[in-house]
Amino acid sequence: MKKFLVILATVLAGVLVVGGIGAVSSISQEEPPVLAATLDGTTMDTPNNGTLPHATLDLSVYPNSSDAVPPPKAGPYESAWLSGQPFYHPSTTIQVPANSVVTINFTQYDSGGQIYNPFFAHVHGSMDGTMTWNGKSVKNVKSDSVGHTFTVHQYPESSQPYFFLSVPLPMNAANAKTDKAGYPVDPQKISVTFVTGEAGTYVWNCEFPCGDEYQEFGGPMQTRGWMAGTFEVVA
Amino acid sequence: MTMTQASQEQPESPTNRPPSMHRFKNWMRRPYARHVMIWTVVIGFLLLPLCWLLLAAMNQTGAPASEIMQDIETTVFVFTLVSIPITAFVFAVLLYSLIGWKRISSDEPPMQENPAIFTNRIGVVLWTVVTSALAMFLVVWGMIELAQITANSYGTISANEQPGGNQSVIVNVTGQQWVWTFAYPQTDGLVSDILYLPVDKPVYFNVTSKDVIHNFWAVELGVKIDANPGAVTTAGVTPNKLGTFNIRCAELCGMHHAYMETEVRVVTQEQFDSWVREMGGRRTS
Amino acid sequence: MSSVAPAHVHSAEVPQPAQHGKPGGIMRRLNFGTGLIGGIGLAIIAGVVTSQFVPSGYASPVTFAPMEGEYVYLAVLLGWVIGFMAGMGAFVGPIRWMLGRESTHLDAEYMAGKDLGRSRYWKYTTDHKVVGIQYLIVTFIVFGFGGLLAMLIRTELGATWTEVFSPAFYNSIIGTHGIAMIIAMIIAVSGPLGNFIVPMMIGARDMAYPRLNALSIWLLVAAVPCLISSLFLGGIQDGWSAYQPLASQAPIGMLGYQMTIIVFAISTGIASVNLMTTILTMRAKGMSWSRTPIFVYGIFAASLMGLYAFPFYQYSQILSLSDRVFNTSFFNPLEGGSVWLYENLFWLLGHPEVYVIIIPTAAVLMEILPVFMRKPLFSFNFAVAGIVGVVALSGLVWAHHMYMTGWAPAVNYPFMLSTEMISIPVGFLVLVVIGTLWRGTSWSRLPLMAVYAVVFNKMIGGVTGIYLSDVPADQYFHGSMFVVAHFHYMLMGAGFFGAMGGIAFYFPKMTGKILDERYGSIGLWTVFVGFQLTFGSMFVAGLQGQPRRVLQFDEQFDISNWISTIGAYTIGVGTLIFLGAIIFSWRDGPMVSGNPWASKSLEWQTPTPVPLENFAVLPVVTERPYNYGVPDPYDEELRAHDGDELESAGAR
Repeated sequence: MKKFLVILATVLAGVLVVGGIGAVSSISQEEPPVLAATLDGTTMDTPNNGTLPHATLDLSVYPNSSDAVPPPKAGPYESAWLSGQPFYHPSTTIQVPANSVVTINFTQYDSGGQIYNPFFAHVHGSMDGTMTWNGKSVKNVKSDSVGHTFTVHQYPESSQPYFFLSVPLPMNAANAKTDKAGYPVDPQKISVTFVTGEAGTYVWNCEFPCGDEYQEFGGPMQTRGWMAGTFEVVA
Repeated sequence: MTMTQASQEQPESPTNRPPSMHRFKNWMRRPYARHVMIWTVVIGFLLLPLCWLLLAAMNQTGAPASEIMQDIETTVFVFTLVSIPITAFVFAVLLYSLIGWKRISSDEPPMQENPAIFTNRIGVVLWTVVTSALAMFLVVWGMIELAQITANSYGTISANEQPGGNQSVIVNVTGQQWVWTFAYPQTDGLVSDILYLPVDKPVYFNVTSKDVIHNFWAVELGVKIDANPGAVTTAGVTPNKLGTFNIRCAELCGMHHAYMETEVRVVTQEQFDSWVREMGGRRTS
Repeated sequence: MSSVAPAHVHSAEVPQPAQHGKPGGIMRRLNFGTGLIGGIGLAIIAGVVTSQFVPSGYASPVTFAPMEGEYVYLAVLLGWVIGFMAGMGAFVGPIRWMLGRESTHLDAEYMAGKDLGRSRYWKYTTDHKVVGIQYLIVTFIVFGFGGLLAMLIRTELGATWTEVFSPAFYNSIIGTHGIAMIIAMIIAVSGPLGNFIVPMMIGARDMAYPRLNALSIWLLVAAVPCLISSLFLGGIQDGWSAYQPLASQAPIGMLGYQMTIIVFAISTGIASVNLMTTILTMRAKGMSWSRTPIFVYGIFAASLMGLYAFPFYQYSQILSLSDRVFNTSFFNPLEGGSVWLYENLFWLLGHPEVYVIIIPTAAVLMEILPVFMRKPLFSFNFAVAGIVGVVALSGLVWAHHMYMTGWAPAVNYPFMLSTEMISIPVGFLVLVVIGTLWRGTSWSRLPLMAVYAVVFNKMIGGVTGIYLSDVPADQYFHGSMFVVAHFHYMLMGAGFFGAMGGIAFYFPKMTGKILDERYGSIGLWTVFVGFQLTFGSMFVAGLQGQPRRVLQFDEQFDISNWISTIGAYTIGVGTLIFLGAIIFSWRDGPMVSGNPWASKSLEWQTPTPVPLENFAVLPVVTERPYNYGVPDPYDEELRAHDGDELESAGAR
């Protein structure tokens, strides 16, 4: 009997330790709060899918945190390691409605430079292949003045529709006038409109080297909540 | 007896050893020998369906879609077939040891009654010969297949020898954290995130990476090659089946490695040409 | 080979140096506690001093990474390792020699733990038996850490509908799981059994270099916190192979991994030299090579492979660290380096390393079998040939991990040849095992059960390895879960089960108690069933095309992953049951005699608990090993009837 109790105690202790550590780790790594696109009551015509309801979403990109704009919530190590790094605001967990036309309005406060792969200096996946940059309709940005990109790509799930959206966000000039917090007074404003299909889960990340470490693709570029996140199309 | 007399008469030298067929029959008279042989055959037949089951698992999403993938599957089939005899024999001995030669579960060590077989020359030689022959067969098969697949994937042709024009399609594959992009240098600067290929036409891939090591894996086409930064590796294939297949990244490349997937759509030549036009490209070579 | 011939005991007057103070001197005060104080203290001092020297906000001019954290962490790790070893007393010996102080016989006895009771396990003790137990405990701890991570990994893979952990964390737990298990498996047999048993098995009193023995175990202990600390600093998000240039993008936790390997390689190198010298020079009188037990051959082979292979690992990590911290570009192709250089350096270790894991477990099985089959090992010479063949070929096959890299496609042919060839000597070892099982009524006890599990798993692992060794097939399987299932079948299926068998076999000698039969076997078979479920269905996932190191995948892989996760939980429960059996038997089990298995091998001829000097009189070996069994009845029958059959067949 005593043997059985020792064995049972070992097994239970092991399960509790593993379960506890797993639960704590999982809870402490939750994605940032959901930022959902809001239906604005209008509809829009699409080239191939008829007339669909319209929704909008606002996103900003900041070069660093400040008193005015707090950094994303992160653990102690991450906050220390990524202080002073760019991030998307207010959240990287994006939700858009299915079977709709969605417009995302970006406000880009960061500088930039030469992008490695000129493919990402072009707009891909929007409704008519263009985006609106400070009022003008363009298909791409010059590849040496890209600030960041917003690139949504495939989740490894073949049952959901293929979705690829990539928007280059042009940089602010190095000598742009800045306000008290250090952000440009007149940031770049970009809008992109695209059509969503059936429900599905995707991920997005920036494809401009705006981080640090090797090839400047480390740091915030490899951290959800900063320069990467999830993109969910919900029914 | 003098030497000359011996060479003239040449009697059969006396021996106690019976001829080998006789020895084998004698050995098979032992009950355990027969049983182990029978069990080997039975287990071998039970393992045989694996040859087909393995291929069924590989073909779940539309494979094989090229000669290369077909060759790979034939190799898997043959290797399974060739591995079955030895595996079945080992499993048969394991099982017979538990059931046939029996077990004692006492607290005290049993009295020593097992035969003290220090070695068995026939067993050792037979095992060495059989396993070496099987290994040699697998090596030779593998080398021949490899030469064939290298030829089918145009692996011996370097990037500047790739024939352009209408006979083939050239695709520059760029892996970047964490998206694949495909450039078609024969069109006027067409770059896409989905790989479109015309069926039954050779494709040459020039694969590179912009940052870390990725691995370009067109699953059902049987193409796999690392995408290295600072170098261009080449692969090739001739897709022979229409359909939509998977491209995955098979080398850990950072946070979104799992999401570095895209599609390869093998379409007819007309569909391919109209896709190129739609995307704004023109064939220039 | 157990006969102890009457010996002439020589005694000579050896002039002893004068004894200064109590035996052991400062070593009386130093133990694990002072080691911790020294390690943590020097780590803090080094960190603070370094952060004063590095200008705050200093960023690398090449990668713009903030370097202060890197330099401070590197200093902390170095400070920890050096401080810990100093606190343990590793430098006391060399400093005494430098100061001209000889150590006396009493000092040496103190260092060996004479009359120290339990506290000798917490000190820098040189007795090989103490070091063996210390290795056993460290193996359990590291294996437990790796197992915890495995449960987390499988939970993520089983929860196919969501992301339980963030992708970055998942990447780092798979890397940490990999290296923790590799370390645990490398030391699992060579550590406890190589240290505790091998000197006794060859009839020696201790290892050739007792102080180096203590150094190797405490260096290993120093390396473990380096690995654990990395998890809290972003983790090693790069798999255990830590490919560059991805390792230069990872958070600073990567430095923890690199330091762990640098220290671990030193520890293993020292242990290898120690074992090899002991085996070469300290075998008992009369123990010629044909009378040396096969386990000794296995440990010697593993030490030899470790000795030439681990420096590559250490070197690759030093260069990797330098790329990260000192802006060199060995592996940075944009600055003239080569990614293939890293891959080659790594796999030059990576392949022999798996034989360092497998050969000792195969050898321990070949020790167990004759005792429990009560018949000799089948073809001892063939077993030696197998081990020698594996060692000879082990250094010639590494690039089969690089078939798909595009490094040198022409070289794929010779590596395919050498890799297929290495399956032949491994096959020799399988024949020796089944030959020993042949025609034997087995004494079915816990150590023998492990043998069946190992042979079954090794066959599956070996055959699937043949697919991977073939370049065309590897073109599909490389980087998929098929590879993961294959190496788990080899390293865990053969390695871990072999380690369980070895520990169950030598438990009575190492602890004086017998491992509980009932719960030990329930644990072992639960792990076995879970193991087949987990990795059998992992083969299916690999065949279907699931890549490795991914936390989300297509729904066609869902079912295989659910089955694997259930199997993994079963493995976890089974391992805990086995651990519980060990704990219970160690603390409260019945004491047993010195030789409960009635083995004829030298190490079982000592009393239990084993006295400090092992043998009162050094033994002399006169018999061949594994001299069990009775003459084969079939041989006699054949000889008796030979003449009759020839006559009846008409031969004349």
